[in-house]
Amino acid sequence: MDVFRIIAQYREGLLGGLGVTLYLCLIVWSAGLVVGSALGLLSARHPSSVGRGAKASSFVISGIPVLVLLFWLHYPVQAMLNVVIDPFVTAAFALSIINIIAVGDTVRDAVQRFPAELVMAGQVCGLSNRDVVLHIQAPLLVRQIAPTILMIQVNMLQATLFASLISVDEIFREAQRINAAEYKPVEVYSALAVFFLMICLPLNGIALVLRRRYGRDLSER
Amino acid sequence: MLCAANISKTIGTNQLLSDISLQIRPGKATAVLGPNGAGKSTLLRALGFVDPPTDGELRLDDQVYRFGPTKTELVPTPWPRVTIVFQQLFLWPHLTLRENILLPLRKRGDSASGLAGLAREFDMERILDRHPNEVSGGERQRAAIIRAVLLRPSYLLLDEATASLDIEHSQKAFELLLRLKEEGVGIGFVTHLLGFAQRIADDVVFLDRGRLVEAGPPEILLRPTTERMQRFVSLLEFGTTIS
Repeated sequence: MDVFRIIAQYREGLLGGLGVTLYLCLIVWSAGLVVGSALGLLSARHPSSVGRGAKASSFVISGIPVLVLLFWLHYPVQAMLNVVIDPFVTAAFALSIINIIAVGDTVRDAVQRFPAELVMAGQVCGLSNRDVVLHIQAPLLVRQIAPTILMIQVNMLQATLFASLISVDEIFREAQRINAAEYKPVEVYSALAVFFLMICLPLNGIALVLRRRYGRDLSER
Repeated sequence: MLCAANISKTIGTNQLLSDISLQIRPGKATAVLGPNGAGKSTLLRALGFVDPPTDGELRLDDQVYRFGPTKTELVPTPWPRVTIVFQQLFLWPHLTLRENILLPLRKRGDSASGLAGLAREFDMERILDRHPNEVSGGERQRAAIIRAVLLRPSYLLLDEATASLDIEHSQKAFELLLRLKEEGVGIGFVTHLLGFAQRIADDVVFLDRGRLVEAGPPEILLRPTTERMQRFVSLLEFGTTIS
């Protein structure tokens, strides 16, 4: 019951932290979905230029833990450049880069593996390039990548926790503050889990529904 | 007329087609025969502009498309004046058979009035609202043929388009192709069924290793002049003739 007492007692602080987390997420999700999709499409279309650069970036970034990237951008980079940047901006930038790379990889792979013969069949039936994209490529690609992209976004939401370590006042940092006052880690972090479940479960649910609805096996037997 | 003039197709060091010339005339059918790996499908795909030759010329009525070392833009696009039913069919898996057939028609603003008749003729009425992976290979093949025919092409190319059809539906496909010929559609088809070729073709070309070995009227199937075609024809089963 202490969990709910903590939620009720510190609701303003927790909701404030949740607001920061969601705002951070909104930036990271938007950047990832818009820029990542564009990067993926460009990489697939220009594999030897954009694609090569994106692959190299992905190779390097995927080898760096989120926390290390955040700390590196927050401390040494700012010291080297002799600038001070708001930790929220640093976190939004670092997580957006990771999301852009992940979404870009997913989109690029899906576009590159798209069966060329389905496009060819559209062409010989007299469909314009626009119609082929709109009615054949886009629906099949969206069905294929939507669940994966959604899971990446859930992971990004969870990765926002790391922002607390560079002093972003998001929900995890708020929970740490409450714990410092209450010294009841089990209850405090259970309350935090309730908040995350409230956001993540619907997203996971949507991913499941999409998978069930659109993940139908389309292969010919 | 759909003409290929001295077309060749090379990928890397592999010469898939070598200096082939042939014609598909309006209202006539040309059968393409040959052993596996002879280049039949490659030739049909080249004639259908989907996998253009690396050298030579394709003429579609009064339009000339030249091919060479540089990429040739297909302007104006030849489809669906020329269309092709691929061996692997390539139906769009997220659409039902009905949607597969209707999508190109709707986009061109064409009427789908012929669908009901063809669906009835090919026993497709009860399965039109199924997805391609929910029907048999033969039913997919019939849907692909109907999709191509309803586009009212001037030239229809079929790559073993009757391979999965049972004898009854092969007969129906045969009758449909005869009707299309009467309507002036030029037909090019790859087949292993000598009987089918014999009864429907006005011209026959025999390929081997990417080269045109022999060409002529359907009678060459009975009396081939080249040793290679004689050897090939002697091994084929004439019992597949559709009567």
